Amino acid sequence: MKRVLRLLPALAVILLAVVGPLFAAHSSTEPVTAPYALPGPGTPLGGDQVGRDVLSRLLIGGRDLMIASALIAVIVTGLAAILGAVAALRPRLGAVIEQTADLLILLPVALGIMVIGVAWPGSGRIPVIVAAIVLGTPFAFRVAAAAAAPVAASGFVEVASARGERTLSLVIREILPNLRATLLTLLGLRFIEAVYVVATASFLEVGAQPPTADWALMIRENADGTLLNPWAVLAPSLAIAVLTVSVSLAFDVLTPQARNRMVTRL
Amino acid sequence: MAERLRSSRTAALVAVLLLRRMALLVVLLVMTFLAVEILPADAARATLGFEASPAELAARRRQLGLDQPVAVRFLHWMRGLATGDLGVSARGRQVWDIVGQPFQNTLVLGALALVLTVLAALALGSLAVLRPGKLLDRGVRSLSTMILTLPEFVVANGLIVVFALGLHLLPSVTVTSSSGKPASPAMLVLPILALAMRQIGWNTRIVRSALAEQLPAPHVDSAIMDGLPRHRILIHYMLPGALPTIAAGVATSVGMVLGGVVAVETIFNFPGIGAVLVEAIRNRDAPLVAAVVALTGLVITVVLMASDLVRAWAVGRKP
Amino acid sequence: MTMSRRHLLHAGATAGAALFLSACGNGGGSTSGATAVGTPRPGGTLTIGALGRASAITRDPHGVQVNESDYLILSLLYDTLTIPGSSSIVAPRLATRWEPSADLRRWRFELAEGARFHDGTPLTSDDVVWSMRRLRESSIGVSRLPGIDVQGITSDGPRVVIVESNYPNSAIPVLMRLTTFVIKNGTTDPAGSPGTGPFRLEWFSNGNARLVRNDNWYGGRALLDAIEVRLFESPQAMANAALSGEIGLASNVGTVAARVAEGRDGVKIVRRKNDTALMVVMRAADGPYADPRVREAFRLAVDRQTMVRQVLSGYGSVGNDILGTADPAYARDLPQRRQDVARAGALLDEARFDRSVSHQILTTEDVPGLAESATLFAQQMQSVGVKIQVVKQESSTFLGQSRGKAPLYTTYWGTNDSVIFCAGKLLLSDSQFNEAAWHDPAFDNAYRSALSTADPERSIQLMRDLQKIEYDGSGYLLWGMAEGMDIAKNTVQGLPQLPGYGRVQLEHTWLSA
Repeated sequence: MKRVLRLLPALAVILLAVVGPLFAAHSSTEPVTAPYALPGPGTPLGGDQVGRDVLSRLLIGGRDLMIASALIAVIVTGLAAILGAVAALRPRLGAVIEQTADLLILLPVALGIMVIGVAWPGSGRIPVIVAAIVLGTPFAFRVAAAAAAPVAASGFVEVASARGERTLSLVIREILPNLRATLLTLLGLRFIEAVYVVATASFLEVGAQPPTADWALMIRENADGTLLNPWAVLAPSLAIAVLTVSVSLAFDVLTPQARNRMVTRL
Repeated sequence: MAERLRSSRTAALVAVLLLRRMALLVVLLVMTFLAVEILPADAARATLGFEASPAELAARRRQLGLDQPVAVRFLHWMRGLATGDLGVSARGRQVWDIVGQPFQNTLVLGALALVLTVLAALALGSLAVLRPGKLLDRGVRSLSTMILTLPEFVVANGLIVVFALGLHLLPSVTVTSSSGKPASPAMLVLPILALAMRQIGWNTRIVRSALAEQLPAPHVDSAIMDGLPRHRILIHYMLPGALPTIAAGVATSVGMVLGGVVAVETIFNFPGIGAVLVEAIRNRDAPLVAAVVALTGLVITVVLMASDLVRAWAVGRKP
Repeated sequence: MTMSRRHLLHAGATAGAALFLSACGNGGGSTSGATAVGTPRPGGTLTIGALGRASAITRDPHGVQVNESDYLILSLLYDTLTIPGSSSIVAPRLATRWEPSADLRRWRFELAEGARFHDGTPLTSDDVVWSMRRLRESSIGVSRLPGIDVQGITSDGPRVVIVESNYPNSAIPVLMRLTTFVIKNGTTDPAGSPGTGPFRLEWFSNGNARLVRNDNWYGGRALLDAIEVRLFESPQAMANAALSGEIGLASNVGTVAARVAEGRDGVKIVRRKNDTALMVVMRAADGPYADPRVREAFRLAVDRQTMVRQVLSGYGSVGNDILGTADPAYARDLPQRRQDVARAGALLDEARFDRSVSHQILTTEDVPGLAESATLFAQQMQSVGVKIQVVKQESSTFLGQSRGKAPLYTTYWGTNDSVIFCAGKLLLSDSQFNEAAWHDPAFDNAYRSALSTADPERSIQLMRDLQKIEYDGSGYLLWGMAEGMDIAKNTVQGLPQLPGYGRVQLEHTWLSA
């Protein structure tokens, strides 16, 4: 019961982000008040940079961010799990993967985001997702590889390997199921990291395009007016913080056995 | 004799590590040149602006060597690098003149942020692990998760609003003195905080879980049985075992700090390398981007190696 | 022509100081009431924040100056032949008088008496000719000195410079503003070399500089002892510095920052009208906007008042699709375009504009308000059933791929005190900045005749004709003029109120107690 209780915040936030658009009083694109107007009647959180309703944009702007971050987290964790398991089974291939990961770790995150963002024709969300995957996988790979190594060395995998099972089926049937706890924890961390990358990318002008309502974009585009209407920046910042804390809490509950395990980024 | 053998073997290990990391750095630089190459528009257009005529653009392209294949330009630049020459930027200035002082400023900023990170993470992580599952532990963990997700630019804006414009305690921006350095040490405070906040979040989690892993270890167990004071157990029995993990976490933070400076430096007007990088990409300035990548890559390499060595030392130390 | 020149002379020589004084102190935003101006007094150091990028620092007065901070430093150190004036477009500086030949091809510029470089060397026409030729031969010389060849810049004795144009050009003195910085004949390293300006360089470090008063300036001594220039990468950081008192003046800080400053004690805002033109470009040569009716419909579909209110927080004025709004010759009698959805819709029907598909507007974040204007524009176009999708591009991508090429995009222009200057730069068929690819022989003719007419009466009429053609047909939708906004400490007096680069004239600025 207590565990279910601790899942509630995450469920509430996710639900709110999904159905939030239904409750928006105003359009997300139409100005309804003065730029950076303070909260007033009809606009409980005031106006944004061109006088659009902050509350309406807040209600609309969470869903896509959440979906993008979840997508990044799932892909990064999945890739890392497979690569990590392969590396553990096939040391020679593993060395190559590890070298590549070490290489990408040297790349400054901002540079990676900007290069992918600028080079991508048309821009939008896809370059951010790609950048976050490219930059996040090496870190996740290290965790997965470290966790997979002892499993790969265990008897039943060696037996399966001796039976002549192919690498892919070994990975899927024998190794990954034994990494569940690690991978769940990793997934939670990657989600948090993905939200950070998406937000940072929007600071570097990569990501959701105006006039889209998006929490990350809202923080960036309203930063100049923080002193005029603090809510324009504060509200989306808090929304992101609440989202990630509640999701992290939920992952903690879902993976009790992994709570004290070392999941670091190296 | 065995001692000498061991130290020479260590030296060989270090040399191999070094070579491998250096090779990675060179590959990274190749990638950097290629990445700048695939960006739309080129350095000539980006630096001459809309005003330039086609003839002027062509002349500038010749001058910058943009009419040559990227491989030729890269080799030319690498040859210079071997002699310590970082080349000439797209605007015709010596790259070292552009990155030299800012790089030093960023190093100072980053190093101080890292020191703060380590101290705060050790303190918070230890506090939490001493009372596992209690309110303090849960509080520290929620808080560290929360600040983990807040991008540096959000933290920076918040700090400015509160400490500079609200309380008038600290300067909101960095003003540069004639030496090219920040005019007063107080100007470093907010940028350091903004940079360190997120890393404190990461490393607190790492410190906590690394220390928690040590709890079931037999020597820790017996120390607890013996009723030794908590801080003694923590420092003498738990910390040494947790050190490799903590060192690895801190090493990773170096890369993240160098990524975070881009936003923090812009917001605080700090004369560092982050702003140079943003501009260099905007200008499609391959030598300048590569110089920044080389310098930051070098720093990360050195730190990662140090963390490798800590791990090697810890493994060698184990009975 | 002659008349207006005398007028200029008068303004520059005698009334200059008084003019600046009367212009200051009414920034309007100050609530502290500390704007009592008093008598100008010499002394003090003013720290000025100006925008720039560390990697783009240019110390060559004849280079491409993208940094406002660099331009500010250069214009305090070096003099140009003429400068933007307060009561007319051109005011004297290093050139005190100028006179054209009858055909307006050959211009004589007389140099100021007593002008000396900071190292004491007297200035001669050789220095000016050498500097201008150097500018002409620089990477962007053709666009800075259009129609003037290197051989066309000569001297006539030590005090006179002759500039010959390849065609009659009444606007030559206007071209001599802004970048004809004079350095010493034969200078090999222009960085920090002595100039003749009101301040001389004490130190320069990575875009930041300290300049001290030139006591021997031929234009009279400046009031400030020293000016320190600080480079800021972002307007927001600069605004914060001004609000927390770390700098005395934040130059060109943007409307949002100025609004923040409005309610604060100790600082005031300076509003410089007609500073930046904000436009939507509709490509006229081909594509969906080639039909003039479509362009007219777009111009009528926009609600300019709302754009100014929402994008510029009201710190600006509506535009009427003619560039050069601060020019005394600006055609104020042409009817102001207002939103007319019905007429716009009818025009789109007539032109069979495709309203079933979504059209793109490309934009970038080069100046505050630009990307926001695209957003709002797209939203307003829904009123006539046109679907517009905003695509924001990174600065250099926009520059390389979109500006001057895309069918629909946002742009801006920063020198708005001369109709003829803008016409020659942006609207002429063969101009390389013809952003909208608009080709109208009638306009070209009007431009050439306006340039080759010395008679003031006739010139006014020709200028009116030129603007009518521009108003009716060009590829621009100039919806608003943003004011230039500076934040200054209340003690800073005598700040220039000119738009654009007129803001760098600081010799009459002073600090009250």
